[in-house]
Amino acid sequence: MARSVADAARKLLLLGQCVPTVKQNAAKIRIKRLELDENLLMVTKMCKTGDIVLIQALPQKLTKLITHEVKEVVYPFGDITDPITGKKVAKEMYREDVDRQTELYGKLESSFDHSKAPPRGWQEGKKDFTSKPTYTKFNVFDDKNDPYAI
Amino acid sequence: MLRRVTSSIVQSRGIKHTVNVKWVRPDYVPSYKPEKSGDLEGLPPIPGTTLGKYYAQSEEIKDAPESVKKIFSVAHLGQKEFSLLVKEELKSRVRRHKYDDGTAETRSAGFNVNYCLNLQKIVQEQIDRRKKLMKYLRQYDYKKFEWLLEKLEIEYKAHPESHHKLSRKESLRKLTEMHCDDVRDKKLDEYRNLLESQQGPFLKQKLDALKFIRSEQADLQMPITVTEQDIRKVEEQLKEWTVKDEIKQQARKKKKNILLESD
Repeated sequence: MARSVADAARKLLLLGQCVPTVKQNAAKIRIKRLELDENLLMVTKMCKTGDIVLIQALPQKLTKLITHEVKEVVYPFGDITDPITGKKVAKEMYREDVDRQTELYGKLESSFDHSKAPPRGWQEGKKDFTSKPTYTKFNVFDDKNDPYAI
Repeated sequence: MLRRVTSSIVQSRGIKHTVNVKWVRPDYVPSYKPEKSGDLEGLPPIPGTTLGKYYAQSEEIKDAPESVKKIFSVAHLGQKEFSLLVKEELKSRVRRHKYDDGTAETRSAGFNVNYCLNLQKIVQEQIDRRKKLMKYLRQYDYKKFEWLLEKLEIEYKAHPESHHKLSRKESLRKLTEMHCDDVRDKKLDEYRNLLESQQGPFLKQKLDALKFIRSEQADLQMPITVTEQDIRKVEEQLKEWTVKDEIKQQARKKKKNILLESD
């Protein structure tokens, strides 16, 4: 009985959010359940912090921490698409409506253009320090001071 | 009773630790300092002779004498007028259209000014406001968030998972852990180097042995078990190893030279 339940659980797909982690080539996923949160680590980092992903248990544990694999990125973080119309959304407005508004007022060169923007991640580790967890600075090192220490 | 006696006799304070861990408590950094607020850029270069924002729009000032212009320059008008110019300069970098003054980009740019001017009183509040704006912008438009970081020259760091007062014990524990990791990594690296250095001679030996076996089998007209592919594979491995070894040796030489120069 117990074994069949465990097998069934292994085949289940879970939906969770990618959270900052120190591990390389692996992602930490937070899964919200009705009672408690579960922290798991996945193989291959195809997702970035904040993405909502589908994960499935591996037939065998790779390491003590890596137990699941990422199947699919369902909702990329900070790039919201309306499921009904399939249009991109920023806050309460469609992105194309915002652009239309800007054009009516007279678009300036300084405005941001989505079509020319590089994909997410080009500031990672330069000005955007969100891929790893930040912590309280506990020591002054001579050579290297971690930017994730606050 | 016994515990009290032993603790009074054996003083733990005086014991010298064998692990060489030196702890330097980080200094307190006020939030208006750029290293805390994340501002990478100072004031934009605006000369003192520039006219105030609204006075510059006047028709009369255009053909006014130098002395009048001097009176209406930023250097004379004071910091308030100067900050208006700075704000205008920063906002103009990210403005969507001429009348844009309330979007997340322009508001974040407006908050930048006070860090530049170092107005300590309001900075704490405004840092939090800007951070909040950036946090939300990150959630609904990541590409724009990254573009804004680049344009306004600011850093964004997420809030730490827990806020607590720093303690000596915790810091020492972390440092000791790092020290232990270093020791382990060093040992593992040494062992790996040792094994890799033995790879080359072994491959050479293996190659000779395979060739010998193949020639013997051909001579004695026995079924040949060693194929050409096997030999080629070993040759390729040996080639790879020699390339890697050369790179390693060069790196080692460079390190030695640097050490000698520093001495």
